Amino acid sequence: MNVAPSTEFVLPARFGRAGLGGCYAPETLMTPLLELEAAFRAALADPVFQDELSRELRDFVGRPTPLMPAPRLAAAAGLRAVFLKREDLAHTGAHKINNALGQVLLARRMGKKEIIAETGAGQHGVATAAACARLGLDCTVYMGGADMARQAPNVARMKLLGAAVVAVPAGQGTLKEAVNEALRAWAGRCDRAHYVLGSALGPHPYPTIVRTFQQIIGEEARRQILETTGALPDVVVACAGGGSNGLGLMIPFLRDAVRLIAVEAGGHGRALGEHAARFDGGRLGVLHGCKTLVLQDTHGHTAATASVSAGLDYPALGPELAALMLDGKVTAWRATDEEALAAAQLLSRCEGVLPALECSHALAVLPRLAREGAPCVLLGLSGRGDKDLATFQQMGGAT
Amino acid sequence: MKPVLPFLMAGDPALEKLPGWLAEARGLGLDTIEVGLPHSDPIADGPVLQAAAQRAITAGATPRRVLECLARCPDSPDIVLFTYLNPLWQLGAGELIRLLRPTPVKSLLVVDLPFGEEPAWEEQLRAAGYPLVPLLTPTTSLARVAQLLNRSRQGGAGFAQNFVYLVARLGVTGQNGPMDLDSVQVRVAAVRGLTDRPLAVGFGLSAPAALDAVRAMGARPVVGSDVVERLAAGKTLRAALTAAGPPEPES
Repeated sequence: MNVAPSTEFVLPARFGRAGLGGCYAPETLMTPLLELEAAFRAALADPVFQDELSRELRDFVGRPTPLMPAPRLAAAAGLRAVFLKREDLAHTGAHKINNALGQVLLARRMGKKEIIAETGAGQHGVATAAACARLGLDCTVYMGGADMARQAPNVARMKLLGAAVVAVPAGQGTLKEAVNEALRAWAGRCDRAHYVLGSALGPHPYPTIVRTFQQIIGEEARRQILETTGALPDVVVACAGGGSNGLGLMIPFLRDAVRLIAVEAGGHGRALGEHAARFDGGRLGVLHGCKTLVLQDTHGHTAATASVSAGLDYPALGPELAALMLDGKVTAWRATDEEALAAAQLLSRCEGVLPALECSHALAVLPRLAREGAPCVLLGLSGRGDKDLATFQQMGGAT
Repeated sequence: MKPVLPFLMAGDPALEKLPGWLAEARGLGLDTIEVGLPHSDPIADGPVLQAAAQRAITAGATPRRVLECLARCPDSPDIVLFTYLNPLWQLGAGELIRLLRPTPVKSLLVVDLPFGEEPAWEEQLRAAGYPLVPLLTPTTSLARVAQLLNRSRQGGAGFAQNFVYLVARLGVTGQNGPMDLDSVQVRVAAVRGLTDRPLAVGFGLSAPAALDAVRAMGARPVVGSDVVERLAAGKTLRAALTAAGPPEPES
């Protein structure tokens, strides 16, 4: 390397009054993270990078995604108007492609030859595999064993797209274990590989990078609703796993007089281990490189979680979203497995759109918003539900 | 015996084993030993130490129980407590220091806490006599090495409070495969140019020849995964350490 690498971060690494986020990474990853931040800042300031990103978002991803009025759903829920931001129509079927494409472009610009990614529901893995195929980089995706079983169609898609999928059998076999293994793999290959983290979590600068590439969701949605209705919505609502889709949708509305609601996975009960609701179920702690709200036992060991949705069962909230919740700017609600399944069925029948189980959690709170008198709701439909067909069938939602 | 810094996982297979191992270590003439406090998400550890941590947690080795057990081990080498931030942070610095006081722990090696990330916490522990051991890896630039050595300047008593831990290769603990000893040698020499503190070299060392090569560089080799595996299989510490260079017979 010709240029001496920076030894300090430049971008803000902490969020909110509690100072969440930070960079709690093993020393092996510190220099790669410093280099990543420097490359990210340079790319954002480079019109050539921005042009290529915009072009690929249009031609490859299919942006802008539509903002669809959902009048029959609104009537069924008792609301005056519901608008769905259709990220399910983005290429590969979820919002994940926005970040995957941005990071793979960044990695190529950094001269990296190989991409490492983790995936939970498989959407981020598929998006990363697709972006790597498009841009000609090798791709390895780490995925929990249990998630591979319940999201088998996405495993097949990743393989078709040329990615290697590595099963992670440890623990519950879900996203947390996949992140552990991806971080380990990156520590071993950080000289030639870039790690494309899929949600707004992990050590600095990942939460900021992911959120920046996902903000296009909210920027488009804000412009579209103003064009359609001439006014801002009363409520913006999205589901929250790590928080990339929620933050991406909400950040452009932060300075507006709009109520922001993030819906977490209520699973099948209120006890630790029965849900993935970090806001009122978690405590501040450090997991996977950042300080945030973490579901954990009294000893600081990460707790087991439960959700019908593989994309919402991560035991920690992304630090920026957690900070917005703690500072009162975003409200945290939860929806149970049963409510999410019912909401998915309702949207399918009312509007002809089969939603992913993740954003079905956001759909599940529409009746509550109606009871609270919210007239116009903008909802982030983060992905499509084809990957969840087996779950719908098992749970009786596809009868 | 030949210089070596062994690593044990507290609580694997049972916490009750720990006092005996520590006494045995002292009997073998070791001045310092690393003790792992198990964590649920050990992102810097390979499969052997992951499995050991999981067994230990399942067997009930909570941070509090481990520290209370260490408090009952006066017959022990100095201990470097190797762990991750969250289990320690959840105790709070005050309670952590209270639990550390009666133990032979002399320093902390917190793998996911880069220097400067929790300055108040680090300072509180250092002031109480528990400095953080600096880890230098193949990716740590020499500018950063200088910065870390400067930030972690300590000068307590003994090896445990003074040494610098050089990570021998990219990746996680316990990786096998050939070790590029030439680049380790270059690294040791570069760090030697910046500090006269004692050096330990670890991550993926197990072959006796590699351990001797590290000793020949004037550094102390760390052996972890191999020792943990053998202890879990019921071997004595002496037997577990034979690969690290046979202990000299006691006279």
